[in-house]
Amino acid sequence: MIYGDKKTGVLVQGATGKQGEFHIGLMNAYAQQVGGRGVVAGVTPGKGGQQVHGVPVYNTVKDAMKEHDIGAAVIFVPAGAAADAIMEEANAGIDTIVCITEHIPVQDTMKAVAYARMEGASVIGPNCPGLLSPGEVKMGIMPSALFTRGHVGVISRSGTLTYEVVDELTRAGIGQSTVVGIGGDPVIGQTFVDVMQRFEKDPETKAVVLIGEVGGNLEEEGATCTDLPIVSYIAGVSAPPDKRMGHAGAIVEGGEGDAKSKIARLKKHGVPVASRVSEIPEMVRELFRCGC
Amino acid sequence: MKLREYEAKNVIKAAGIPVPAGFLIRSPDELTPHLDALGTAFVLKAQVDVGGRGKAGGILMADKATGTKVAKDLFAKQIKGLPVKEVLAEQKLDIKHEYYLSITVDRSSRQPLILFTEAGGVEIEVTAKEHPELIRKVVANPLMKDLPPFLIRELLGNAPREIGPVINKLYKVFIEKDALLAEINPLVATPNGIFAADAKIIVDDNALGRQGITVNRDLSEREREAEKHGFSYVELDGKIGVIGNGAGLTMATLDLIEYYGGKAANFLDVGGGAESERVKNAVRLVASVPSVKVIVVNLLGGITKCDEVAKGIIAAEIPQKVIVRLAGTNEAEGRRLLSEKGYEMLDTMDLVVKKAVEVTSEQPHQKKPGPWKKPNGGQHSVAVITKPESQPTSEMYQLGKGGM
Repeated sequence: MIYGDKKTGVLVQGATGKQGEFHIGLMNAYAQQVGGRGVVAGVTPGKGGQQVHGVPVYNTVKDAMKEHDIGAAVIFVPAGAAADAIMEEANAGIDTIVCITEHIPVQDTMKAVAYARMEGASVIGPNCPGLLSPGEVKMGIMPSALFTRGHVGVISRSGTLTYEVVDELTRAGIGQSTVVGIGGDPVIGQTFVDVMQRFEKDPETKAVVLIGEVGGNLEEEGATCTDLPIVSYIAGVSAPPDKRMGHAGAIVEGGEGDAKSKIARLKKHGVPVASRVSEIPEMVRELFRCGC
Repeated sequence: MKLREYEAKNVIKAAGIPVPAGFLIRSPDELTPHLDALGTAFVLKAQVDVGGRGKAGGILMADKATGTKVAKDLFAKQIKGLPVKEVLAEQKLDIKHEYYLSITVDRSSRQPLILFTEAGGVEIEVTAKEHPELIRKVVANPLMKDLPPFLIRELLGNAPREIGPVINKLYKVFIEKDALLAEINPLVATPNGIFAADAKIIVDDNALGRQGITVNRDLSEREREAEKHGFSYVELDGKIGVIGNGAGLTMATLDLIEYYGGKAANFLDVGGGAESERVKNAVRLVASVPSVKVIVVNLLGGITKCDEVAKGIIAAEIPQKVIVRLAGTNEAEGRRLLSEKGYEMLDTMDLVVKKAVEVTSEQPHQKKPGPWKKPNGGQHSVAVITKPESQPTSEMYQLGKGGM
């Protein structure tokens, strides 16, 4: 497992908000199903002492840390407060911080990620669906019914596209070790490289599906930093330049980061690239067949 | 959102970076009172929201005698199809040397990246390709309010030291104005000192509110309308309307359309929580584009309620054909509602896209659709509910265990 397992206690920041409350319910339903600890504490400033689905809520992260063994946090607070939440958790000593919140200004994200790095914490996101290790732990909003346990790691900049890929894999009988949505913003904490390095050390992961998008060149960096066999897919082949395709990070700027050149570079490094999502399971099977 | 040149120059001027004396005019007559201050030779620059305006004839030289006539010519022009409504009249600089300076967000290091080269005056992309060694780069710690002097020295090399403060001031602008890009190209040396001859600032769309910007000019009217509903929307030029949830999935749907030989009319990401009202608004918005002949709805998600989505599609009452792929909770109920009203619901994104491409390629042989008319309930589509090819079963989920 990477980032956490059944034994990981999770904290939810923004616990009493609509999103926080809803997803505490789903995360703990999953924890119950797999016999994990799940969400053990919530934080909302000024709402300390309340409970959400039986989970105690605290005013600060440090208050929660005094009472519980916490290894990871999931953030559901609004964009204006999210960077501060990341820093609060990093400062309190939480190792893995998953930030679901979208629309955080990039300058705020840069500061929060730099601060978290100083404190030794790993930030997943922002603007991401979180991660799920089937049979172990869910930190975020991924629909767990689509997942099944196995040995393929998935790293993706998207949310629903990740579910699509996981659904295709599961239908084809290919299970997943851990699925990580790293987020769709230009600046994110854990990049393809960071997650790939974790997969390298993870005995459960035998191959990786890398799902990228237009914008930047971090897919190439991630695909070339590992010996693990990889299948990739890049969304946005038909995206016009200088138009932001939904995600703030999905924009082709001045000829940089367009899908076609990205795909060409991946292929040059010997990484197979699927032209349709539905081709991915067969290509993954091929990886195992040739034993490469 | 990209600021116009005069806006960007006002920003950097306020930060203490010298810019040439200039005046914004909104008609040729407004030039007259400034003629004395502009001196003998000056430049008239169209303030239009497109790149490459110089080559497109948007920058003209003028002097005291010709000024008003040149201004009239410029205001009468269209620059890449855009009318000229604002012109920046600016003193001509006595340029001795041109430099390039920019600050961007570096995705790889997740820090501000500062680029400087003494080889300015040519296109930076060309220098980057042919003489990358001439471009000096540093990344800065975003937690620091000022650039440390050593980083500025690394950037400058043998360039005049008086450029140093300009670099630090532009860095402060980059941080304080929530910029994704702050660029001075060219930064010029004149006998009177260093000046920013041009300036470009792109403000983070996620920070427009706190920067006091209320209207995002980079968006078309329909894109702005979409923004009000909370959709991400981009106009394209094909015939197949697309509605998806999530940027990646929607993009993948567009790519699949291209794969099967069709062309998408738009990108629309409805975002999270696709309840019926949102879906209705999305369908109507896409249907309002005249070129849209068919709409593909591709929604997937554990928490998306398919019956809600179905109600939204039906309530939109649009004349175009709608082909739907839905996966989520209450899938059976959604399917029932849609098929009752004669909508096509297929099981995979490959199937819906293939179908939509077929429909649009058949179009030329068919009767052209009439003008906008409200359909009279459910006659606009044929029910073709195919049998699920690979409905997930608990058995199939089992297969994964202990497998790969």
